[in-house]
Amino acid sequence: MTGTWALIRLILRRDRVLLPVWIAGTALLPSSIASATLDLYADQAARDSFAALSMSNPAQLATRGAIYSAGVGGLTAWTLGSSLTLIGGLVSILLVIRHTRAEEETGRRELLSSGVVGRHAPLAAALVVVLGGNLLLGLLSVPGLSAAGLPAGSSLLFGLSIAGGGWALAAVAALAAQLSASSGTARGLAVSAGALLFALRALADAGGVAWAAWLTPFGWVRLTRPYAGDRWWVLGLLVAFAAVLSAAAFLLSTRRDVAGGLLPARLGPASGGPAGVLGLAGRLHRGPLAGFAVGFGLLGALLGVAARGLDAQLDTPQFRELAATVGGAGAHISDVFFTFMMYVLSQLVAGAALVSAVRARTEEAAGRADLLLSTPIGRLRWAASHLVFAALGPALLLAVLGGAAGLAYGDPVRVTAATLAYLPAVWTVVGIATLLCGALPRPATAVSWTALGLFLVIDLLAEFRLAEGVVLELSPFVHVPALLLGGDASPVVPLLVLTALAGGLAAAGLALLRRRDLAPST
Amino acid sequence: MNAAVHADGLVKTFGQARALDGLDLTVRTGEVHGFLGPNGAGKTTTIRILLGQMRADGGQVALLGGDPWHDATELHRRLAYVPGDVTLWPSLTGGEVIGLLGRVRGGLDPRRRADLLDRFELDPRKRCRTYSKGNRQKVALVSAFASDVELLVLDEPTSGLDPLMEAVFNQCVLEEKRRGRTVLLSSHILSEVETLCDRVSIIRAGRTVESGSLAELRHLTRTSVRAELAGPAPGLAALPGVHDLTVEGTRLHCQVDGDALTPVLAELAAAGVRTLTTQPPTLEELFLRHYAGAAR
Ligand SMILES: Nc1ncnc2c1ncn2[C@@H]1O[C@H](COP(=O)(O)OP(=O)(O)OP(=O)(O)O)[C@@H](O)[C@H]1O
Ligand SMILES: [Mg+2]
Repeated sequence: MTGTWALIRLILRRDRVLLPVWIAGTALLPSSIASATLDLYADQAARDSFAALSMSNPAQLATRGAIYSAGVGGLTAWTLGSSLTLIGGLVSILLVIRHTRAEEETGRRELLSSGVVGRHAPLAAALVVVLGGNLLLGLLSVPGLSAAGLPAGSSLLFGLSIAGGGWALAAVAALAAQLSASSGTARGLAVSAGALLFALRALADAGGVAWAAWLTPFGWVRLTRPYAGDRWWVLGLLVAFAAVLSAAAFLLSTRRDVAGGLLPARLGPASGGPAGVLGLAGRLHRGPLAGFAVGFGLLGALLGVAARGLDAQLDTPQFRELAATVGGAGAHISDVFFTFMMYVLSQLVAGAALVSAVRARTEEAAGRADLLLSTPIGRLRWAASHLVFAALGPALLLAVLGGAAGLAYGDPVRVTAATLAYLPAVWTVVGIATLLCGALPRPATAVSWTALGLFLVIDLLAEFRLAEGVVLELSPFVHVPALLLGGDASPVVPLLVLTALAGGLAAAGLALLRRRDLAPST
Repeated sequence: MNAAVHADGLVKTFGQARALDGLDLTVRTGEVHGFLGPNGAGKTTTIRILLGQMRADGGQVALLGGDPWHDATELHRRLAYVPGDVTLWPSLTGGEVIGLLGRVRGGLDPRRRADLLDRFELDPRKRCRTYSKGNRQKVALVSAFASDVELLVLDEPTSGLDPLMEAVFNQCVLEEKRRGRTVLLSSHILSEVETLCDRVSIIRAGRTVESGSLAELRHLTRTSVRAELAGPAPGLAALPGVHDLTVEGTRLHCQVDGDALTPVLAELAAAGVRTLTTQPPTLEELFLRHYAGAAR
């Protein structure tokens, strides 16, 4: 473990912007949601009816789970439990992979390992920072919650539950990082495992198999029941899950070489290779894209099956009335469900597209673009070869997601079309990333992810009416017409506007890229 | 006379720092040109400007008769580059990278490729993520030497190679020279390029301090001699080509010009030699001796 402390300091230095933004941003959310809940639903009667409405909405059940108490605290914990674990888990996964496997892959780890750094130190350092960050954001949310008038003990339990969710997914990432020699594959493995754990919880709450929630950290985060009976011992499940997976990761890391994986590296072809720059881009994008496609396909099928049950189970006058209030007269409850789910999932697709959109910048930062661009390949052609995948990749993913959901549900055309309607919004995120890579290469990747994170937060704030008017307009996802509910007079106009916006942003990014110096991060 | 590279008064700043501060560099067509400077002198920055990866803030630069920024794509058909720190695509094999680079450069000679792989003892079937630094460098070198280009730009190409591979590299560069290709070779070790280069440019802190053939720069290629003698060697101080002589009892240390070595050794032998070490001076020593004062 020698050198762990030095590595911790290195990580803190490298992420000196990201870590505070993530921790402070997350820690501030619970108290704002708590006070917003109090503003919106001032008396208990209003809160009760809101809770009853939400509990009867399968989409809410799928994304957030059951409401255990209709008090301000209970509603806050319900609103944020799942989504904060999703955000914190994703950040934790990316951070752990970034400071373990990605370091080995770039060869920097060899340099360190030849020094006075112990074998376990890199993984230990990454886990200390990420687990510490999660704990800190959990604890920091307590004072705000207390100040909003909520009981301190339950608030602490809530904070620790959120932290525990992050720990669990950080441990998943630690394990994934040992399995594959490629950071891309490791990241894909961890994110897919996280998505499955989330889907299990969604199925448990929306599909009527409540016991299944006990099988996943996403379930435990809610089952601690803060403000609704405070079951502290459930925290133990989160801690045990994280501890067992981390221990397994340390065990595996002693059984392999630096930069090696457990899945053995085989020899490849001695000649051949991609035919050109587009072929190369294909080789680089196809793995992650295939992984995402399988993941979204499974998720879509799951949704489709869940929705099919809904229409049969819930065909009562009350539910038809609910569907009508949310989706307009005559709306099917399954349509409301799909509309809500696709809104949320399209933002995950945007995350997948962002991976492709910043790929050119990743290549540049790693120094690989230097070599490739010393050949007759022009910058535009090179950048375009990656942009093609950032544009067509999400089209594929949305089609797979919508197609799988639609087929499983039994209405493939409408559901697929409604899902594909999110493509221009996803393209806008890609356009923003392309612009940033052209204008501000060094912070581009971090800022792009932050922008997507902000869109997610905007949606959350919008729901609680904390943000209004112009702020709302900032998120491209808000502008996508809900085709299944058929409200908009002309759904084509906003889609064309978003597409044009995305095209303009990307074109500006490419133009700026042509003018600037290449900037490998050395 | 036509020049493969001609840079005049290049300036490049990064924020406050001036990485290049009026750098001049001329590489004649068909020569092997050593581009020397200590760490941080600006070698890589100059090369990146020559490759159109960066734009100079001031000065003129021409590469193969064109503008490296505006005509990049056209000029790149005629050159191959080996970066100082080669990073490759982790999931591709070395052979696939060589194939890819060859195709985008417009083809490479398969026989020469096989021959080079053999001589550099590189296994092209391994994934790039499993290559060491030296092996990644070999991938880029094989690809550069096997391609049909006029100019090779090599940035500290031997920094990851062991001595045996360095010898192979030297042979390859000499073969390229025989074929009439131009080579720009950066390094921070003078002795390394001595055997290969027709001419060298030495830079420091972004400025050219010396440029010329090795014969012209003879004063830079002095050998450092340390000896322990049986008796005194009184004639040594008077010999031409002996510099910085220090004597401590029976030990002595001096710098000797290349063409003065024979009389110096004769003088030492006459006095009786117990131990003798000779060393080419490092670039750092040169700078300490010649330029440390002048450059401030
Ligand atoms: N992108 C950059 N941003 C800021 N400073 C830079 C950048 N690139 C180079 N420098 C600085 O410019 C100077 C010259 O660097 P350069 O890499 O050209 O040196 P070099 O001669 O190649 O050195 P070495 O022998 O170590 O490779 C250094 O002081 C370096 O720190
Ligand atoms: Mg350099």
